[in-house]
Amino acid sequence: MTVAAQAVDAYKIYGSEDSEVRALDGVTVSFELGKFTAIMGPSGSGKSTLMHCLAGLDSLTAGAVIIGDTDLANLDDKSLTKLRREKVGFIFQAYNLIPTLTAEENITLPMDLGGQDVDQAWFDTVIEAMGLGNRLQHRPSELSGGQQQRVAVARALASKPQIIFADEPTGNLDSRTGAEILTFMKHAVSDLGQTIVMVTHDPVAASYADRVVFLGDGKVVDEILNPTADQVLDRMKRLGS
Amino acid sequence: MSTPLPRLTIRGVLARKFRILLTILAVVSGVAFVSGAFILTDSVKSAINQIFEELRGDIDLEVRSTIAFGDEARAERDPVSAALVQDIIDIPGVAKVEANFFAAATIIDRDGKPLRTSGPAFGISWTGPDGLDGRILLEGRTPVGPGEVAIDKRSVDRAKFELGDVITIVGPTGKGDFTLVGLTGTSNSSGSGGASISAFDPQTADTFLGAKGLAESIYVGVEDGVSRSSVQAEIANVLPENTEVIPGEQSAEETAGAINDIIDIFGNVLLGFAAVSLFVSAFLIFNTFAIIISQRMRELALLRAVGASTRQIRSMIIGEALIISIIATAIGLFAGLGVASGITALFNAAGAAFPAANLTVAPRTIAVSLLVGVVVTVAAAAVPAIRAGRIPPVAAMRPELGFSALQRTKRLAVGLTTFLVGVALFCFGLFLRPGGNTGTFGFAGLGAVMLFLGVASLSTTVAAPVSNALSRILPLPFFPMVRSVPGRLASRNAQRTPRRTASTASALMVGLALVSMVSVVAESVKASFSEQLGRSVTADFFITNTGFQGLPVALAERMAELPELSAVSPFRATVAQINGETKQIGAVQGEAFAELVDIDLQSGAVASIDRGAILLHADPARDLDVGVGDFIAVTWQNGTVSELPVGGVYGDSSIAGNWLISLSTLKEVVTAPPVDFFVGAKIADGVEIEAARTAVELVAEDFPSAEVQDQAEFQQSQEDQLNQLLTIVYGLLVFAIFIAVLGIANTMALSVFERTREFGLLRAVGMNRRSLKRTVRWEAIIVSVFGATLGIVVGVPLGIGVANALPDTFITQTVIPTGTIITILVASILVGMFAAIFPARRAAKLDVLQAIATQ
Repeated sequence: MTVAAQAVDAYKIYGSEDSEVRALDGVTVSFELGKFTAIMGPSGSGKSTLMHCLAGLDSLTAGAVIIGDTDLANLDDKSLTKLRREKVGFIFQAYNLIPTLTAEENITLPMDLGGQDVDQAWFDTVIEAMGLGNRLQHRPSELSGGQQQRVAVARALASKPQIIFADEPTGNLDSRTGAEILTFMKHAVSDLGQTIVMVTHDPVAASYADRVVFLGDGKVVDEILNPTADQVLDRMKRLGS
Repeated sequence: MSTPLPRLTIRGVLARKFRILLTILAVVSGVAFVSGAFILTDSVKSAINQIFEELRGDIDLEVRSTIAFGDEARAERDPVSAALVQDIIDIPGVAKVEANFFAAATIIDRDGKPLRTSGPAFGISWTGPDGLDGRILLEGRTPVGPGEVAIDKRSVDRAKFELGDVITIVGPTGKGDFTLVGLTGTSNSSGSGGASISAFDPQTADTFLGAKGLAESIYVGVEDGVSRSSVQAEIANVLPENTEVIPGEQSAEETAGAINDIIDIFGNVLLGFAAVSLFVSAFLIFNTFAIIISQRMRELALLRAVGASTRQIRSMIIGEALIISIIATAIGLFAGLGVASGITALFNAAGAAFPAANLTVAPRTIAVSLLVGVVVTVAAAAVPAIRAGRIPPVAAMRPELGFSALQRTKRLAVGLTTFLVGVALFCFGLFLRPGGNTGTFGFAGLGAVMLFLGVASLSTTVAAPVSNALSRILPLPFFPMVRSVPGRLASRNAQRTPRRTASTASALMVGLALVSMVSVVAESVKASFSEQLGRSVTADFFITNTGFQGLPVALAERMAELPELSAVSPFRATVAQINGETKQIGAVQGEAFAELVDIDLQSGAVASIDRGAILLHADPARDLDVGVGDFIAVTWQNGTVSELPVGGVYGDSSIAGNWLISLSTLKEVVTAPPVDFFVGAKIADGVEIEAARTAVELVAEDFPSAEVQDQAEFQQSQEDQLNQLLTIVYGLLVFAIFIAVLGIANTMALSVFERTREFGLLRAVGMNRRSLKRTVRWEAIIVSVFGATLGIVVGVPLGIGVANALPDTFITQTVIPTGTIITILVASILVGMFAAIFPARRAAKLDVLQAIATQ
């Protein structure tokens, strides 16, 4: 197995001694290249924090995050920025797009920011896969919620990153549109060979993944391979959420 | 496609065009002020230079007296003998020589009043359009003989005279009646700047202007094809001592230069106010950017998350500022044309001396305006841009992690340091006066800027508690604001964003601090002046001068003959060098002056000056270490040196200045025709005030620019002058205050926009539109009263500082103008209400459902 990203003995501690909150309490987990992984857990389990730290958006108190073969702890802000631009893709729950840019400009934004050329063939493949062909010149305000989220997925894919992080990507969508986005994401992994790590609290969403990692109180508590929604729900219940 | 930054930047500006409208307006006004000042001064100066170059005509060389020191253009030169004309005319290569007689001469208008001109009134000798000077005849003919005059066409038009009218003119020798036979002008102008010029034939000029064969200068025309410099050298050979011959251009340039200097001073004053406006604008720009950035935090964080570097974010914000500044500067430059015409019209309406001129936009004007507009905008946006760059990418998902606020202690330290350095620089400039006026203004100005910035920074710390306190005491006359929901919300809102409250208030602080400062100084000057006047003046009447030149000396001479008066002395002045420094020396009739003014004599006798002594104030006496009986060497402007004995030392310089000599001493060393600044008189024992006044006024009637005033009137007229000046200063500061008010409106509008959801919620839970409006309005009032309070707290001590730095001649006591302070506070409440009109209306108009649905 080739590892796309991993956290080793990761701690994230907020506050000082008296009011200490351990958002991550010794997490060790790795994510395989070319797989769709879901991270689940109840509110406050540390799943968002884990993702922020994995993605280089936030820093650990102790431990290591490694993307490919780069240890993020050794990077300054400049290198971290470059890494986010070139190695990492993001899909957020909402507010994914720059309102003043068109769909196309939003999609090519990371490459444009880095001054890199857009791989036109790959761009076309992604647009085709996301079904965005006739929406490229629209501004975000002219797109539906689902379309906006598809643009966000396309942006994450467009720079061919090492790994894509998605934070509740369907949280703001109705279930039909949500299912559509998840299918697109699954398709990006299986057919386009991408790697996605998704944080969610929706068992149905998690069931699209190849593997589900469960977090509780800042620790990895369980995992399931090739999950179904029922299995995930069942496991969540046992974790006491 | 490759670089998204310009695209993001431009779209960023376009997307927020309404929110940055007021920012643009603020920059536009500041830049317009700057470019307007330049355009105005350039235009007026080029018009004046042109007029004087035209007036030079065929004058190739000019002969005049030398001066030993001082300003070439404004020197009081001794006259030269008109007989020199005979010596010069014989020199080979000389084509024509004319003696130039010249003196003050006032034209009397149809109502018997001195003709109102926007400059001095002169009488000259003129040989007609074929003469050497550049004056031409526009209508009529050249005056010939004792009863004729030609006057510049502009003055004639102003007075509505016609050719053939008999016109009364008052010259140094008294009144004369002349028939108007010609209208003069230059090739491109119908006047001579703002001056009125009465031209007589040379003989008439000599007699009527009291020249007695002594000319102001001698004009020389050189034959064509002859080297001017060799003729100049030849002439120099025949000239007596203390006389020089210079090229005509030099003389014209010097005369124009003297007027240009005055216009430059005026321009610099305007630029000073422009700087204040720009400084206030900078606060507005800073606020707008800070608020917009906090509103865009998620967007900026998203950019960071997808790979924008800190530098790219910073560049983007700076780029937005750059675009705004360039647009605003371009508009501001054009607006400057309007400002220049506006100010010209305004001052001309008030009787000032701006000649009609084509508006000149020099490359320097464009460059400076651009530089100033861009630098101020970008500098004001720099801090918000740096802050924007620091937004962590994670804020895209967790906005609450957005800004890591600067540590309180660190900000306090920075603010306090800036403040203290500012105070130090201000005092250094003010009290130690390094490098003369430039240094004083430079250091004090820089100090004031730093001081204001320091206070702005420190005020962030007190914004919350002060807002809280203000909300409790403010509406006491009505009802306690804190008890009502809108009051509570307004106060909490002001406290929630102390940084925003503080910087919005700070803009107002700057304007009001300057108003407070100026009013402390002005009130102190006024109080000191009336105190000194009350203490030192024992004269019953003052004859003051309403024209541009002094009073004819004949006035004092005739008053001295009045039996109703016991003591009469004019006050004259000249400049001389003492111990290597140029000083103004006053000249009076010693015995009489002692009756009129109590100069607080510490030793010696005032009347000693009538026997050739000099009196001096205690300060220079201490500096020079001299006392009664010692001698002081005085170098006069014509180069002669007198050793004058010290006849006394005095303590009150308010009227006498620092040095006093007698009229006779002055007459010996200065041969230029004298004029009087004012004349003081005391009523003889047993004469009724009314009788004395009638007698004095009868004499004054023959001198159109003389005005008879008793003590109270004299004092009032001095105060009126000061008040007039104050009105102009306040008027110009109102501009800066207006920008600050825009700033409050802007901040409130942006806040309303930001709190759309919050206001929607308030409406949803049952707050009515009126209360919502009230919430916004009260917040604006809190902010503006906060700003006014800061302004007073900063401005009054500044004013006390300036008052103490001014010499005792101006200020002997410091007065704090309570009335002005109360007015400022009350006005600030109104200002807040005014600023809130639009934002409050906007808040009240919000659609409840939509507002709640807003992300």
